[in-house]
Amino acid sequence: MGASANPNMVANPFQRASMANMGAMQTFANPGAAAAGLMNPYENQVVQATMRDVGQQALKAQNVLGAQAQQAGAFGGSRHGIAEAEMAKNFTQQMADQSARMRQSGYNQAMNNAFTAAQGLQGAGQQAFGMGQAVNQQQMQQGAMQQAAMQSLIDAAKNQFQGYTKGPQAGLAAMFGGAGLTEGTRGSSDTYQPGLFDYLTSAASTFYGMGR
Amino acid sequence: MSGGKGGRSNTEVTMPQFAETALQQGIGMAGDVSALGYTPYYGPDVAAFSPQQQAAFEGTNQMANAFGMPSASGQQYMPQAQAFDGGIQGYSSAPAFDQAVDQLAMQRPGQAEYLESFTIDPMTGEPGSRAGVNQPVALEMSGGRRGK
Repeated sequence: MGASANPNMVANPFQRASMANMGAMQTFANPGAAAAGLMNPYENQVVQATMRDVGQQALKAQNVLGAQAQQAGAFGGSRHGIAEAEMAKNFTQQMADQSARMRQSGYNQAMNNAFTAAQGLQGAGQQAFGMGQAVNQQQMQQGAMQQAAMQSLIDAAKNQFQGYTKGPQAGLAAMFGGAGLTEGTRGSSDTYQPGLFDYLTSAASTFYGMGR
Repeated sequence: MSGGKGGRSNTEVTMPQFAETALQQGIGMAGDVSALGYTPYYGPDVAAFSPQQQAAFEGTNQMANAFGMPSASGQQYMPQAQAFDGGIQGYSSAPAFDQAVDQLAMQRPGQAEYLESFTIDPMTGEPGSRAGVNQPVALEMSGGRRGK
């Protein structure tokens, strides 16, 4: 009943199961959107720090290249310029590759996290649904027991009432039961007492039968 | 055995007066009892759903609502349970019985009146015109004269 519900439980198990199911469905329907919400918020800082590292390496390499060109007396020459340009291109490519790798990895991670979260939601939803159902069935079983007990009370009262209303018939039956004891106290019976002639007739009949 | 003389003899048994009186009383009482008619039961017949069952019904509704499925309240179908003495909550068939009796009287008044003429008026207790007490017969006493 609502009045006795746990106030800390903002949604009943079935609502939670439904919400979890909907959340998981949204992720499966549009995983990119779900992944976007799970991107590492510090990814830009990490990438930029890496870019700075690569930039510093490029600067150091440029200095080494300048020193080498100076020793060779080619500093500021065309060959030095070509070498610097080639080095800058390499470092730029390196920065782009690293940045792309890091961002791709971050996206993949976010995507995996989104699917893992969706599967977790599905599991939690099923668990909530199962808990709700278990409680519901328990309530139904116990409630049925209570109703059965109440029905027994009603049946007992009904039986008593029937006994009460059938009182006159019961009295009558008892009375006729008593009257039944008088059976055989009224009527007539015929009896036959055999005489001498009957015995003689019987004996003659037997003798005649043996002689044949 | 008394000599060679035999023959037929008849013995008549007569009911004693006390038994005949009891029998007549019983027959008279049976006539009265037959006029009693049907005694309806106005108490509960079926136990109401318990609070836990109602909570379970509500839970099932919430389950359906949570998933956008149609639900229905039990109160839309079952009548309001009556409270009887002793804390009993239940439903009685008495209203439906009364309605059926009234309906019979309305649609087949002749048959209803004929039916009721065998029994007492449930309101006044007066026996109906065809009740046993209104059809007296003279009961002949046979044992009282000779069979005492």
